[in-house]
Amino acid sequence: MHIPDSFMPLTQGLVYWAIALVFIGLSLRWARKDMSEDRIPIVAVLAAGIFALQSFNLPVSMGTSGHLVGGALAAIVLGSPFAAVFILTLVLIVQGVIFGDGGITTMGANIINMGVIGGFVGFYSFKGLMRATGNMNIACFSAAWLACFIPALAAAVEMFLAGTFPLREGLIAMGVYHALIGIIEGFVTVVAIRLIMTARPDIMKLAVPAGQGVGA
Amino acid sequence: MENRTFIVIGIVIALLIGVMAVFLASSQPDGLESTALVIQGQKTLAGSAPGNAEIHESPDGKFSYTAPMPDYSLGEKLGPWGGIIAIIAGTLLAFGLVLGSSRLILTFWSRGKGKPGQ
Repeated sequence: MHIPDSFMPLTQGLVYWAIALVFIGLSLRWARKDMSEDRIPIVAVLAAGIFALQSFNLPVSMGTSGHLVGGALAAIVLGSPFAAVFILTLVLIVQGVIFGDGGITTMGANIINMGVIGGFVGFYSFKGLMRATGNMNIACFSAAWLACFIPALAAAVEMFLAGTFPLREGLIAMGVYHALIGIIEGFVTVVAIRLIMTARPDIMKLAVPAGQGVGA
Repeated sequence: MENRTFIVIGIVIALLIGVMAVFLASSQPDGLESTALVIQGQKTLAGSAPGNAEIHESPDGKFSYTAPMPDYSLGEKLGPWGGIIAIIAGTLLAFGLVLGSSRLILTFWSRGKGKPGQ
């Protein structure tokens, strides 16, 4: 889902950058408020894990592959959508600047799609599904699936506005492929959250109130 | 689990995933690339792209940048070793960048946070 520079006019890229900067500012405020010395290394490990998982493309049939995005994972584990914006912004900077995975001028759009939309959709659908089902696995899987699918549709609209994809065909193809990739996103998110909850249940106290989820 | 143990195990798992990706990751196009190939008529929605399929990009009026380690590799000479070095460097860089940025925020921006009278 990493949009390269050649897929978007410079002026549109700058508009997305301006929007992204607002959310980056808010994510820095989250970091200032919610980060503690104890939590910093854990957030950094999560970023390293998301970077590594994003490099691991798995086949999803239809001649397509996909990987974890990580917006839902970061937001659920750290209890805020702004955590996803903070982590995904820094991961996307490393990917774009060092590895050319995603463009420089389109990085704002990529931050909006994967960090902002992925983080907010993942976090709030997780909260809603936890309230509705009380089942941690279902809530995590569905939230992560949505956090992959919805940003892909947003990217299709951005590609339409950029004149790169026609709207209908873009939405159909991006939707179909990311509906499949979302299964990877859901599965990996559930496994990662289970592992983190086993190792450090204290980390997730903000996202999952005590007594909920572990045994679900 | 203590912080230090969690960090060491977390980093080791991340590095293992990254190194495995060098050998096991699928070379098929990702969702965005597949969509571009469908739009450009080089693949059907459900079919595989032919081996010589290539996304036609129009760089006119668009920014261009060459990354130091494009496609998570160090060129063909080093083969998979280049990929391993690139992934390890990227994983540690992501870790270090988040660690450093967070420390900076706590040190300089949060100075005095919660202290009476400040």
